[in-house]
Amino acid sequence: MNTDIETIKARSAMYRAIRDFFDNRGYLELETPSLSSTLIPEPTIECFETAFINPYRAQKSFYLIPSPELFMKPFIAATGRSVYQICKCFRNSEQLGFEHNPEFTMLEYYTVGYDEKDSIGLTKDLLSAVGIKQEIETMTMDQAFQDLAGFSFLECQKPSQIRRKAYEKGLGPFGPESWEDTFNRIFLTFVEPCLSKDHPVILTDYPRQIECLAKNDGLVKRRWEMYIGGIEVANCYDELTDVEQIRDVYERETAILSQRLDTPIPDTDPDFATKLQGMKPCSGVAMGLDRLLMAILDKKDIKDLILFPFSDMLT
Amino acid sequence: MIKAGQIDKGMALLIKGAPFVCIDREFVNPGKGSAFVRLKLKSPTTGQVLQETMKSQDNAEEITVEDLDFQYTFNDGENFHFMNTESFEENEVPMTSFPDYQLIMKEGETFRCTVWEGKILDVQVPSKVVYTVTEAEDAIKGDTVTGATKFVTLETGLKLRVPIFIKQGEKIRVNTETKEYLERVNG
Repeated sequence: MNTDIETIKARSAMYRAIRDFFDNRGYLELETPSLSSTLIPEPTIECFETAFINPYRAQKSFYLIPSPELFMKPFIAATGRSVYQICKCFRNSEQLGFEHNPEFTMLEYYTVGYDEKDSIGLTKDLLSAVGIKQEIETMTMDQAFQDLAGFSFLECQKPSQIRRKAYEKGLGPFGPESWEDTFNRIFLTFVEPCLSKDHPVILTDYPRQIECLAKNDGLVKRRWEMYIGGIEVANCYDELTDVEQIRDVYERETAILSQRLDTPIPDTDPDFATKLQGMKPCSGVAMGLDRLLMAILDKKDIKDLILFPFSDMLT
Repeated sequence: MIKAGQIDKGMALLIKGAPFVCIDREFVNPGKGSAFVRLKLKSPTTGQVLQETMKSQDNAEEITVEDLDFQYTFNDGENFHFMNTESFEENEVPMTSFPDYQLIMKEGETFRCTVWEGKILDVQVPSKVVYTVTEAEDAIKGDTVTGATKFVTLETGLKLRVPIFIKQGEKIRVNTETKEYLERVNG
């Protein structure tokens, strides 16, 4: 158990600053469920599964949400309102360490009429409001690759091409894998560890091969990730609003998810895309608040700011 | 063969033909991507520290090691000298492999060591150890401020901050990981 009063007060002050920031800008604060009967198909995320029981009917699986987006996006489509939420999120399996607690606190904010570039300005103001006032360095992922890994991934679009680059750089040998996995090997070995730790860094224009609900723009997706102190703190999309395209992503990801062998396959909602019908252009950011607090207080271990760390309950 | 996702702190692995001990492990899912492990590995023979990033599903070669008792005899400034308490064989380990261990290992004490092919890969020092205070300044008379501290030196040469009431010749319990004072031990 952590009883450091200053840390507890700092978290409370951070929440208050965030709420003031969005309330003053006319965003609605939402409260959506932690339990859901379906999840968005995300093959790289493992979920916590539980069941609703009733002695007189069949029991039904429920999942602790890995992100509130599955409730927030249909709300935005229905109302056209900019919204935010601070809530607990849950990710299972392997999520332990200096930067991970399986139960963590997320801030999500969606701005109607914004694209991902507009969200950078908003996020800069938000960081300033919670006391992080350094300049944010912004660069494209491809620029980061050219500077730190020595090549352009935009020119290595085939799995064989990027694999050759990985081998040339001394990685491997490794078995057959997707373009995305080889890209991430190179990213994690040569790029991410060398990002500046002195100020926040935003990497924009992620490869289109990494599937997600962000808009496509040629060879890249309109999304960014923000690092503070070398740790991934936030993720932003120019949200995909085209129902057909959302349905396509959904179907492809569900197919990959259904091949999962040893962990639960969550139910998915076949009508999710339809619920986003009429969604206006919008940009959403998801920010890990435990990690943001680590940055504010200059702490190196997430356990230092969680009152009852998950790992203490495992022993 | 094991999967990289199974690698844990303290596990011994063969990396490109050389033995390494995992000293740190962090899982990472870059940009909501698939699971990777970032490993910090240390060579027990050279002290070299290596960063390796592997996909959780990658194969890794765990090596079979055994735990044996060794007596720590002395250090010559470059190597720690150990003696196998059963076979009485001598074993040397570069001091760079275990930085600062001369400050927490008492000469003549026996330690459980992890051994691979005759080489000591890891020395297991208990997390709490009792040491004798060999040098301590006298408490300043009249200094009754609660929480006042001073520096003392232990039999191993470790200098640390302790409460003002600790005297030379007394025994104290120390956290060997953080090298911080825990409590006074009576008798």
